[in-house]
Amino acid sequence: MDLVLVQIFNGIQYGFLIFLAASGLTLVFGILGVINLAHGSFYMLGAYLALTLTEVTGDVFLACLLGVPLAVVFGWLIERAFVRHLYKRDHLQQVLLTFALILIFNEVQRILWGSYPHGVPAPSYLSGSIRLTDQLAYPVYRLALTAICAALAGAMFFVIQKTRVGRLIRAGESNREMTELLGFDSSRLYALVFATGTALAALAGMLAAPVESVYPGIGERILIISFVVVVIGGIGSIKGAFLGALAIGIADALGKVFLPSLAGVVVYALMASVLVVRPGGLFGRVIR
Amino acid sequence: MIRLPSLPVLVLLGLIAVAFAVVPFVAGPYEVKFATRVLATAIFVLGLDLLIGVTGLVSFGHAAWFGLGAYAVWFVTPPDYEAGNLLVALGAAVALSGAVAAVVGLFAVRTRAFYFIMVTLAASQMIFALFHDTRIAGGSDGASIDVKPILEIGGATILDFSARNTLLWFSLAALVVLYGAVLTLARSRFGRVLQGIKANETRMNALGFDGARYKWASFVIAAMVAGFGGALFASIDGFVPPEILGWRESGLAIMMVVLGGVGSLWGAIVGALVYALAEEMLKSADLVGATVSEHWPIAMGLFLIAAVLGAPKGLAGWLPLRPAKPWAPAAETGAAVETRRASPPPRLEVEGLRRTFGGLTAVDGVTVAFEPGRIHAVIGPNGAGKTTFTNLLTGALPVSGGTIRLDGVDITALSAHAKARRGIGRSFQRTNVLPAFTVAENCAVAAQARGLAGASPAEEARAVTEALTSTGLVDRADRPATSLSHGEQRQLEIAMLIASGAELLILDEPLAGTGPEETARVTALLRDLARDHTILLIEHDMDAVFACADTVSVLVGGRLLAHGTPDDIRRDAAVREAYLGRFAGLEDAA
Repeated sequence: MDLVLVQIFNGIQYGFLIFLAASGLTLVFGILGVINLAHGSFYMLGAYLALTLTEVTGDVFLACLLGVPLAVVFGWLIERAFVRHLYKRDHLQQVLLTFALILIFNEVQRILWGSYPHGVPAPSYLSGSIRLTDQLAYPVYRLALTAICAALAGAMFFVIQKTRVGRLIRAGESNREMTELLGFDSSRLYALVFATGTALAALAGMLAAPVESVYPGIGERILIISFVVVVIGGIGSIKGAFLGALAIGIADALGKVFLPSLAGVVVYALMASVLVVRPGGLFGRVIR
Repeated sequence: MIRLPSLPVLVLLGLIAVAFAVVPFVAGPYEVKFATRVLATAIFVLGLDLLIGVTGLVSFGHAAWFGLGAYAVWFVTPPDYEAGNLLVALGAAVALSGAVAAVVGLFAVRTRAFYFIMVTLAASQMIFALFHDTRIAGGSDGASIDVKPILEIGGATILDFSARNTLLWFSLAALVVLYGAVLTLARSRFGRVLQGIKANETRMNALGFDGARYKWASFVIAAMVAGFGGALFASIDGFVPPEILGWRESGLAIMMVVLGGVGSLWGAIVGALVYALAEEMLKSADLVGATVSEHWPIAMGLFLIAAVLGAPKGLAGWLPLRPAKPWAPAAETGAAVETRRASPPPRLEVEGLRRTFGGLTAVDGVTVAFEPGRIHAVIGPNGAGKTTFTNLLTGALPVSGGTIRLDGVDITALSAHAKARRGIGRSFQRTNVLPAFTVAENCAVAAQARGLAGASPAEEARAVTEALTSTGLVDRADRPATSLSHGEQRQLEIAMLIASGAELLILDEPLAGTGPEETARVTALLRDLARDHTILLIEHDMDAVFACADTVSVLVGGRLLAHGTPDDIRRDAAVREAYLGRFAGLEDAA
């Protein structure tokens, strides 16, 4: 029973992390209309930034403070250099170009950081465990991680629901052409959204670094799982991504307990069942 | 439409084939294996182009079928260092891929666009997890085929896949045959429907094609082609790693299709070849220097980005297409009359028809009968529920209540394509033709849908001739549908309905945006068609409606306000008040 409880905690924490990555992906797809296969690379970038910056600063949270602006700049550059060419193109060319970006990013990662896995230490003040019951202890960093992600999710809802930028994002998401016709400088909005999406994925990677080890290919697992979350939630829906991410996180964690040899199948089976009932995802709009 | 390759393309393909065939004579075992791998991959990618380029379905899980084909060879190879039967191995590969794809396809074809991409990805990842995480076929270590399949007849070995050169030549022959087969399939009447679905699935459903079934069929066929390629792939090294089922392989296959040029079929082959050659060259330190070869993925990535931005149509876009055969009218034009039916057109009744969207009732208990062989206009102000009414009659939307009867038979619950098969044809408020097709091809696809059994090619040709003649589109027969003016596209829609043999025509604003001359021509055409069709005209243009309709039904706020002859309607006080007020005022002044 304790194991199940721990796994539920782990699942929620994993779900929050996936939410950070997937929310960026769903924004980019919902507003820019771009299938970005390189999104996982931004998560990987975050993980490796955490590795280097933690070595420099000695604290993973300081690393995050430095790393997020770097990720924003990186995302903005990638948008200006490559992604903006894709807005008027079909899904196939988007898949092709962003797949090419993965090849490049992975190789650059290998040049800069090598092929061996690395660990990133949790800050010393969060390195212990909390005793939950007599037999059950849970690492403090994981709890802190969950709390940070929950706060970020709350902030994100606030920005999207209550601010002017958020209103523009919602407008762009529900009708891209119309927003353009109304005279908004969509190229700046798009660059902003893409850079934000990049930063969210990178932040997820940075926060996860002390929990997972940092290794090549770390981004690809999160990419596929983020796509699953986006589809379950409905493309462009932050609320859907949130529920989808938690569902996937918990399903994955429990799958590892109850169906260890089929754990890899569980999340996809969950997605397939959601799509059978609701072909547009939980909060999907009209399918394009 | 998919065209035959032009002469330069055939020459290029011939040269490539010869180059592959002579590899064993001019190069060593490494090159032979490399060439065979390219051929197996090309078969895999060819199947994917049938899906992407012909049917318009982007599958991100195609590698699952390639991998299942490879694993099938392992499944049928006996243990203890015995060779499996080659025919059994190939058959098992095709059967396993096809069977699993048949199940996955049932779910996948229900979704569209991005969701289809994701469902196929999820399916392939599930299959990958199954092979990677469980021990059914070697798990994450992969599966080894100790002795490769052979074909023996009467004790004599005919084919032995352990022989490198045999496998190369067999793969080459297989690719040539499969390319011919897939090209023939894509250009067949079946393939034409697939292309129609790619161009406009709603239109194809409204013509009576069950789009989901056609998509499912092409999904399974593409998987079987990929499975065949997978069996050849497994025979090269006798080793099947689970990674060949995974999303990276699927992504590479998409990349090769796009690189070669979507929908040309031969482009898929060239794409597979160019990708493999580019990778091989960039990895070779002798050719590109040590720095580049060490970091070849960067160079490969840049090459692919340049390809996407520089050649959006792929490599195939650089070579000319063979021009299509121009359309010619059917030989026996006198026989056009035969396509007209002896049986009377149908009667349509609706009773208590209702449709709600959440709290809004768009159509609210409409009961009306449309007598055969007449023109019935349905009019009403904006938001009166006219288009919803049309969508309910044609099956584009399910009803919330009430019944629809065609000649007394209850057809309420039938889907759009099933209603079309029973002779209900519709035009759309926004013109809805198959853009990539010529005018004649649009009509030919429509004619193919004729009746429950479909039409023979001869009937089809006659129906197309009749449709083009009666709508006056003969001189535009070979123009692509997109080059027509707005009014001409509306006439093309009517031509498609004529060709489709529909007996009940539901026309949603066929006169919107047409000039006075065209309006006169379309009304004359409708009068002529009313001799053997029942016509429902959903219209805004009052003058035209009152000039040509036999009955007029007025919808206001989802309810049927009045139904009668144009004169009745003109005199109806409620209609005058609710709807015609301003027109009546004008009339009095005149």
